[in-house]
Amino acid sequence: MSETVKPPVLQRIDHRTATAVRVIGVVAAIFAFGFLGTRMLDFLRDDDANRLLVVLSAILLGVVGVFVVFWAMDQVVDWLPKKIREGARPYVFVGPAIVILSVFLIYPVINTMLISLRDANGQDFVGADNYRFVFTNHSMLRALRNTAGWVIIVPLIAVSVGLGFATLADRLRRGEAVAKSLIFLPMAISFVGAAVTFRLIYSYRPSGFGTNIGLLNGIWQGLGNEPVAWLSQQPWNNLFLMVIMVWMQTGFAMVVLSSAIKAIPTEIIEAARIDGASEWRIFRYVTVPSILPTIVVVTTYMVINAMKVFDIVFVMGNAETNGTEVVAERMIRWYFISNHDGRAAAIAVVLFLAVIPVMVWNVRKFRQQEAMR
Amino acid sequence: MTLAVVGEQKQPRRRARRGADETVGVTSGGWFVKITIAVVVLIWMVPAVGVLVTSFRTEAVSNRTGWWTMFAHPFRTSEWTLQNYREALGTGGFKSAFLNSLAVAIPSTVIPIVIAAFAAYAFSWMSFRGRHVMFVLVVGLMVVPLQMALIPILRLYTSGASLGGLRVFPDLELNGTFLGIWLAHTGFGLPLATYLLRNYIGSLPSSIIESAQIDGADHFTIFWRLVVPLSVPALAAFAIFQFLWVWNDLLVAYVFLGGTRDTRVITIALANLVGSRGENWYLLTSAAFISMALPLVVFFSLQRYFVRGLTAGSVKG
Amino acid sequence: MMKRRILVSIASLALLAAACGSDEKEGAGTTPATAAPTTAAPQSTTAETTAPETSPPATSGGGENTGKVVLLSAGEPEETDAYQKIFDELINAKTDYNIEVVSAGDFEQQFQIQAEGGTLDVAAVPQPGAIPALAEKGQIVSLETMGFNIDDLNALLGESFVALGEYNGQHYGLPTNINLKSMVWYPKTAFDAAGYKVPTTWDELIALSDQIVADGSTPWCVGFESGGATGWPATDWMEDIMLRTAGASVYDQWVKHEIPFNDPAVKKAGEVFGQIMFTDGYVLGGAENTPDIAFGDAPGPMFENPPKCWLHRQASFINSFFPETAKAGVDYDWFPLPPIDQEGTLYAGELSVVGTNGNRPEVIDFLKRFIAQDVQCAMGGVQASSRISPNVEVGESCYANEILAKASGILTDALKTGTGRFDASDLMPAEVGSGSFWTEMVNYVKNGPDYLDTALKNIEDSWPTS
Repeated sequence: MSETVKPPVLQRIDHRTATAVRVIGVVAAIFAFGFLGTRMLDFLRDDDANRLLVVLSAILLGVVGVFVVFWAMDQVVDWLPKKIREGARPYVFVGPAIVILSVFLIYPVINTMLISLRDANGQDFVGADNYRFVFTNHSMLRALRNTAGWVIIVPLIAVSVGLGFATLADRLRRGEAVAKSLIFLPMAISFVGAAVTFRLIYSYRPSGFGTNIGLLNGIWQGLGNEPVAWLSQQPWNNLFLMVIMVWMQTGFAMVVLSSAIKAIPTEIIEAARIDGASEWRIFRYVTVPSILPTIVVVTTYMVINAMKVFDIVFVMGNAETNGTEVVAERMIRWYFISNHDGRAAAIAVVLFLAVIPVMVWNVRKFRQQEAMR
Repeated sequence: MTLAVVGEQKQPRRRARRGADETVGVTSGGWFVKITIAVVVLIWMVPAVGVLVTSFRTEAVSNRTGWWTMFAHPFRTSEWTLQNYREALGTGGFKSAFLNSLAVAIPSTVIPIVIAAFAAYAFSWMSFRGRHVMFVLVVGLMVVPLQMALIPILRLYTSGASLGGLRVFPDLELNGTFLGIWLAHTGFGLPLATYLLRNYIGSLPSSIIESAQIDGADHFTIFWRLVVPLSVPALAAFAIFQFLWVWNDLLVAYVFLGGTRDTRVITIALANLVGSRGENWYLLTSAAFISMALPLVVFFSLQRYFVRGLTAGSVKG
Repeated sequence: MMKRRILVSIASLALLAAACGSDEKEGAGTTPATAAPTTAAPQSTTAETTAPETSPPATSGGGENTGKVVLLSAGEPEETDAYQKIFDELINAKTDYNIEVVSAGDFEQQFQIQAEGGTLDVAAVPQPGAIPALAEKGQIVSLETMGFNIDDLNALLGESFVALGEYNGQHYGLPTNINLKSMVWYPKTAFDAAGYKVPTTWDELIALSDQIVADGSTPWCVGFESGGATGWPATDWMEDIMLRTAGASVYDQWVKHEIPFNDPAVKKAGEVFGQIMFTDGYVLGGAENTPDIAFGDAPGPMFENPPKCWLHRQASFINSFFPETAKAGVDYDWFPLPPIDQEGTLYAGELSVVGTNGNRPEVIDFLKRFIAQDVQCAMGGVQASSRISPNVEVGESCYANEILAKASGILTDALKTGTGRFDASDLMPAEVGSGSFWTEMVNYVKNGPDYLDTALKNIEDSWPTS
């Protein structure tokens, strides 16, 4: 750039041209990208295109595309008059998330709430009939009771085991990564794989129908007993199913909590040790309070997941005769198998309402955390 | 300037930790710790070992004897076979299904992260009306079972939406396209992503943000050049979870992409091995390990980001 | 700074120009061309999910040929592969479109989602009971709309079968497959060696069972477990017996709910079922254990030496669960379930249903070829198949599998004499047919003969009132 100072008029013209060129540049970039993008999308739809090329362009489009969108929006905000610029900016940051959520989650939620007041085909208005069903039908009541069990037991065990394991593994000098990876491994198994896995544990064959291929019965028979149909033993079968979820989800809790533990400054822990505190007191009065926000996050996630559990219960036997119904499984059954849109929607709405206490708890913690800053 | 300071603070922290461990030898790595961990890991591995063993056994043997019996006679070669893996891999179009899975999983992981990171930053460090309400709404949306969303979204994709004659959502014909499924996975993954990332970004020390603002950086720059590099552990953690979830997903892929040869993903290809009546269930054991391979590789490679701290205690004060 | 900006804009404009260059064909491609405006009209009302669908689309085959047809099926993998080959040979090679068969594990869910979401071409539906709900919501297209002549179809496929897809005067399902259910399997070699004779009446069947008990063994192997669908084999038993005690016309009334579920006729069938299940020593493992035995494991004991059980009542697909070493007609064989007071034959099958997305000329052409004699005969020739063609022109010689050949003979007779009936639980509303009927049958065998009244009443109470 030249060193000489230009007269004010020319400076203003320079500035305006610069802005104008910037505007054109950004708009052109957006359009170019848009067209390129749509052409790429058509390319992706072409059945005969080279697969690898398609994958690469899909990845490129997905990754670069998003960043360009944000960048472009941020540029647009810069053009706004100074007064509203910083006021508008947060909405740019939050905007895409809210828009996507509105389309993909909020709209279906509202849709569901409307259907919950209608009949089996989602057409005629029936008022609160479906809700009456949810709270009086004996199978639904069992489902509510069981879900409450899942919501309490699974997060309790998963977070405790995850926290304990993370704390202990932190002490290992070697082998920590391996130990954590092995606990994490079940998360990598798809649900279908998990179903087969536990089939090999819980499988039952009465005598005469062949030897038992399930581990539990193998052990039980080895102790001299007759084989047992574990998944039909009420109410223990609920616990057996919960084991599956704990097995799969503890890895998540452990990984997240482990990272939080590692972030605690060692000075604090060392200071406590020097003061003569036992490991347990350190854990209780130093570690846990330091990572409390993370514990809240992990617990919230586990609780919500337990509320939504469906696959495990749906696939492992007839939930109604086994007494293992849960809310989400009933919802799917009413919606897709028995084709009663209204009831299924009502069950879903009950699920939405049940998450409100969790949200309230989070808001409180959220505010506390911000106040501490 | 602030970045350099942060960098320096990170390194000595890790070295200091090592030293501390060694001087406090009594509690670290003691036999109590080692045994407890070994026991827990052993119990945890039992189901997985069962699947692994079964995946190498012949169908006849799997159906007739328990998998633990192999420990009694591990060298009976007639019982071992690679046939299960051969069948699973030989299922038509496996390579194409693998590529499709990648084409779905990678953008479906990256897009939500980018969008959620921006939103998480805004919820943590920008002030605007309704941020508490909006955030709590996002958290609450985690409970929505995605099955309730499938049909409304599918309708939107195939024919758009009109409200009283006014076209509210254009008819984009997104069903069966990759963009459609990326958006769907983004929508389903955003609540958790925003939740996790907000927790992390919100606990970054405010001093860093404030000093950057004093230096004259605007929010976009602070976010892009300061917060994102600091949040790599959180981003990596969520990336793993989202990747796993999308990679192992069957339902969303089936609904939005379809089960035809050209667009189906691995989970569908492998699930098709087993009939709707479940005769070939033993094939699922080898299928499970095959489809687990890539996510585990991703986990191992991203693992090193975990050890540095998901909540930013590393730069406290 | 300014120079950089100018460079950026020039570069973008260049990109823009390049992209625009091949925009002509893309311009048409970005707007949906597949769904013609006429068929789009009913779809746009689905955004307001509350609006009831009035009449099915009036156009026939509206929409352009997209070159692709997708058939959603609940089939087994070996079958599906074989059928794809047949389609490739006989259809894809001769036409300008490509038909692909896709099998779905959770068929009901996928079918619902795709039909309601508007992405369904054709689905081979094993439960015709799902048709009324979908037809009312306007999510499936009637055969009349697509230009099919119902009288021709009745002649080709049997009127009673075509009638199963009827709703409100229009037909929505095209029969494409049948399988026989009233089969009793037995271990032939051991059976003959023990001197037993194949029974031809119910009394003989009971006498045979008593004989086997007296000889120190157990006659029946029964298993009802099936994951989330546990209980469906028990409903097959009830239906088979109902046909034979109450007869075809009462059976029809039962299906249509013209008689209540706890009608004395149904109760009588339940008691006969109980006779098999609860008589001491009849069922291996005892009746209360049957809901925990996987239906695929159930016939296993028949193949031991000596057989631990001798009789297994199950549909034609069950032989894919038998040991690979067992040979049909040698190690095992089957006889039709004997009549009781009446003759009867229970069958199930598939009706092909077309979704709103499938109202296109190539889909209609595919359907016509699908039911044609050459394709159906070729499908019967697949060894791994358990399907029989509903096309009356397909003869026994088409079936590679002699079990199927014999079964097809029985079916054709049953259809001709009017004693054949479709599986009731697949015809009843899903809440009953895939819900309370299954669970109450399981409760019945677990709780014993006294529970029958309660079971039937519970099912009756659960019948949807609309």
